[in-house]
Amino acid sequence: MRRSGKVFLNPYYLQIGSFIAINALLGLGVYVTLSTGQLSLGSAGFMGIGAYTSAILTARYNYSIPVGVVFGALAAALSGVLIAIPSLRLRGVYLAIVTLGFGEILRVAFIRLENLTGGAIGFPGIPKLGGTILERLKASSAGARIFSSMNGNALESLLVFAILLCITLMSAAFFALQANSRVGRAFSSIEMDETAAESMGINVYYYKVLSFTQGAFVSGLAGALYGHVASYVSPADFTYHRAVEILVYAILGGAGQVMGPLVGASILTTLPEVLRFMSGYRHVLYGAIIVLSMIYRPQGLIDSETSDWLRKVFRRKRFIDGGVK
Amino acid sequence: MLAEQLINGLTLGSIYALIAIGYTLVFGVLDIINMAHGEIFMFGAFAGMLMSMKLGAPLPVAFLGSVALTAAMGYVLELLALRPLRRPSGNMEGNAGLSTLISTIGVAIILENLSLKLFGAENQPFRTSFGNVKFTIGPVNIYLIQIVILLASGVLICGLALWLKRSRSGRALRATAESPETAALMGVDTKKIITTAVVTASAMAGTAGVLVAMSFSNVGTRMGVSMGLKGLAIIVFGGMGSVNGALVGGIILGMAETLVVAYGDSGYRDAIAFVIIIGVLLLKPKGLFGQNAS
Repeated sequence: MRRSGKVFLNPYYLQIGSFIAINALLGLGVYVTLSTGQLSLGSAGFMGIGAYTSAILTARYNYSIPVGVVFGALAAALSGVLIAIPSLRLRGVYLAIVTLGFGEILRVAFIRLENLTGGAIGFPGIPKLGGTILERLKASSAGARIFSSMNGNALESLLVFAILLCITLMSAAFFALQANSRVGRAFSSIEMDETAAESMGINVYYYKVLSFTQGAFVSGLAGALYGHVASYVSPADFTYHRAVEILVYAILGGAGQVMGPLVGASILTTLPEVLRFMSGYRHVLYGAIIVLSMIYRPQGLIDSETSDWLRKVFRRKRFIDGGVK
Repeated sequence: MLAEQLINGLTLGSIYALIAIGYTLVFGVLDIINMAHGEIFMFGAFAGMLMSMKLGAPLPVAFLGSVALTAAMGYVLELLALRPLRRPSGNMEGNAGLSTLISTIGVAIILENLSLKLFGAENQPFRTSFGNVKFTIGPVNIYLIQIVILLASGVLICGLALWLKRSRSGRALRATAESPETAALMGVDTKKIITTAVVTASAMAGTAGVLVAMSFSNVGTRMGVSMGLKGLAIIVFGGMGSVNGALVGGIILGMAETLVVAYGDSGYRDAIAFVIIIGVLLLKPKGLFGQNAS
């Protein structure tokens, strides 16, 4: 029990957990954009907008972290609308490359707008999510009594992880509910056949912009949170590589299901850590695993069959639990 | 000097065109972007540099060696990462093209990290015996290297265009690009044609790699990504699957970049490509030379 408690409070594992949560959020951004058949490689750019907006608001103008994060996500969503509207005519690879280009333009802008972003050196000293909450807790007398005996570092990591996990699961739940709603059905009908969807009276433009904007919002949210976890961001965090990585989370996990990006992000974030014993060659193996998994599971690890199966398993369990009570 | 800048732009543009044509060939027959193309280009540059500088091979030999290596890499790419994903669709949920795209991304990750391991992260110099030879025509200086690049890329692009247009296998390739099923029914060995396209594209990337290495006189592992991105911008700009589009797009981008660096702010150089394509695509969503009927 004590040992498992130690593992559970190990800041290293908790930090990996936090990054899994952020990456899963980014994967969800790709998922929701793809659910109307739009392939976007702009996630890294939206992530950057969210991260820099929140960093500037909190570090320069002393707004609180929640305000910064919300405005970061909103700024990303706004730029999402601005990109989505002119890009509506573009399809498939064309859209992918234009969004990729948007990310590259942003990266260059992050480097050049030095007074705002700190340029290529990066933006240090972003208020830390865990530290701020911990201070608040310790300030209250009850909190001080409970938390003073615990290791501050581990507690901070645990708090951050719990908050991120909550946000990610809430977003996943939102998208899962949305998938079965009027909006979700409109999304999937557009993905299958835009013309048919339009002739059924579905406002294709509105729903495509909506799904793109939702993706941008979630990516911006993840970016803002990332800034407050790492406390430092630089243009190097939002490169082409990041965008591609995020796309891989979603597709490898299975872009057809909400579960997919969560599973994909968990596996691919943990993999480089697990492969640490390979030292220099671990990323080579990482690439090989991506190729192999696409050969053996081109639809992603989680498809509708596995997701149905998982749902059945969970439902049965819940039923038994309920019966015992 | 405007004339000199135009020549610089043309040289850079012809290299861009070589890379973009590689993307276009693969996109034509497979309908996917080969994300490993830039990395193959980078391996070509390193192979040429190492053979010439470390092994002392004469330049033409180094050239051929790097073309052979990249062609082989193309073959392996097709064999291990593209062909296994092209099976008759049974339970194909989602987009089949997406999984192939991700598979080439996997290969790009492998190659990029392998190159860091093999060649190191630092840029390495590549000196050629004629690096500083230049001709002066009136007020204009032209480097011999620029002439070599223009000639090599010109010959390659014309050769490729002729091959595609006139030869039997070139026609088969265009037929496959149009519709793989129909081409197969007409007796085209589409498997062989697709392999040919990927190998040719990779060999062209290798050629471009050596040419870039010569003209910048150094090679680094990061050149794969930056050139790869520009190549992507060009094919989108020129129209997917169009060789003319890749050629014109490459030269326009080369010119635009050189002129901006010469007369504007060089910090924005890497963003120009994408500013141009976003502008063009908003007006012509299928690129300059793309067919508008999908």
